[in-house]
Amino acid sequence: MTSFCPLVRRREHRTRRTLAGMTVIQIRGLVKRFGPVTAVDDLSFDVRAGTITGFLGPNGAGKTTTLRILLGLVTPDAGIASINGQPYRDLPEPSHEVGAVLEASSFHPGRTARAHLRIQAAAAQVDPSRIDDVLDLVGLTAAAGRRVGGFSLGMRQRLGLATALLADPEVLILDEPANGLDPEGVRWLRGLLHGFAAEGGTVLVSSHLLAEVAQTVEDVVILDHGRLIAQAPVAELTTGGAGLEDVFFKLTSEANR
Amino acid sequence: MNRLIRAEFLKLVCTRLSYGLLAVSVGLTALWTTLEASRAGQPNGPASLSGYAGQTSIITGGVWGLILAAVLGVTISSGEFRHHTATFTYLAAPRRVRVLVAKTVVGAVGGAVFGLAGYAITLTEGLAFTAGHGYGLAVGAGTLTDWGLGHLVAGALLGAIGVVVGSLVRSQIAGVIGVFVWTIIIESLIGGLFTAVRRYLPYTAASALAGTPLGSASFGPGRGATGAVPLPFAAATALLAAIALAGAVIAARTTVGHDIT
Repeated sequence: MTSFCPLVRRREHRTRRTLAGMTVIQIRGLVKRFGPVTAVDDLSFDVRAGTITGFLGPNGAGKTTTLRILLGLVTPDAGIASINGQPYRDLPEPSHEVGAVLEASSFHPGRTARAHLRIQAAAAQVDPSRIDDVLDLVGLTAAAGRRVGGFSLGMRQRLGLATALLADPEVLILDEPANGLDPEGVRWLRGLLHGFAAEGGTVLVSSHLLAEVAQTVEDVVILDHGRLIAQAPVAELTTGGAGLEDVFFKLTSEANR
Repeated sequence: MNRLIRAEFLKLVCTRLSYGLLAVSVGLTALWTTLEASRAGQPNGPASLSGYAGQTSIITGGVWGLILAAVLGVTISSGEFRHHTATFTYLAAPRRVRVLVAKTVVGAVGGAVFGLAGYAITLTEGLAFTAGHGYGLAVGAGTLTDWGLGHLVAGALLGAIGVVVGSLVRSQIAGVIGVFVWTIIIESLIGGLFTAVRRYLPYTAASALAGTPLGSASFGPGRGATGAVPLPFAAATALLAAIALAGAVIAARTTVGHDIT
């Protein structure tokens, strides 16, 4: 059945070729130090195709640093981070393979939402007609002509998601995407991610909202002090009736002993 | 590469600061030229507009357009770090040297516009003041065209150098202040004290390209100081291009690769 959503329609060809279970994101022996602080310490994990994986950990656990290394923004001291078998910097069309939302403040405040997307579309060689599609998808059509400096945090998050989806990527890497979203927005985001994964897309999402993560993701990767302390399906971790929040605190407190 | 140049060009035209800088450049140039032309022929003022020297000092005196061209270049590159937009830029184009090249091209185009805009004002005002005093034009059409070309090339090269400076410094405020301190204070001091090297200084070389008599574009001790001849057009162009290239290579090997945290 053909979807009404232009984003989904474009991805249908991809759904057929996606190999479920194939490793899309691979992290091996990753190390990053900032002076005396080891932000990421010999970290290794995989993310499978077609899944939503939660990337969890306390503040300062190394989540954002890991995501930035994965996206080629930070150079690791050791180890490998690859997407579809290649470092991000070597991907021939990175925006068409990976969409990312990292920080809600990384917009020029004087540009309109539409101008921001026009610039990103030009850099990624995306048909400008897609701009209206993604603005509609994230609910920012009415605000497209407004300067981003006047946007709320939630609107910036939506614009970040629109940017990430602009080139119709196969992989989404999101750092705290629910920050600033109202309850309706959080539910909308959940639906978006589920729809993306259902069409064969792969999502790696960091979040502090454990209850929300429990409803959204299938697998979790849990870090503390830059080290991996657990990687498993949520269903496996919560066997026996324990909630994800309980499991998270148990694992992080054990790791700190 | 074309797509990156297009994206950088869109950033330039979608940013109010670009138009603000152009307005400042045009306003300062118009004010400066008006004041200078009003003082022409008076004691301690420029030479009389009745002759070649006086007309030259007014028509080629659009130095603010060249300085602001460098400032524009600084904002093109350092603005990415001021507003944290470097994250989106490098996500779309992870090969950062290509981004630097695209920014340098756009900085050169923007700088050329600033240089030409400045020249349009000084030429218009120079001709108007000359005619207003009832003097004939002592400068030939070919020379006026050469000066226009010189403003275009000088603005383009200073715009490119500004991009490189912004890439190296990353701080927009420090970069912009640095441009003004260098052009208004440092070059003036060096130019006034060491006349043998003054023609090799970048802003002095750029103003020489624009046809400005040596010393006319300077401020403070360097203003009006004589004792050297300006670099020829080709040599000044080569010098400024070499400075831009050397700076770009240094930036590519150092700051451009730094972590975006």
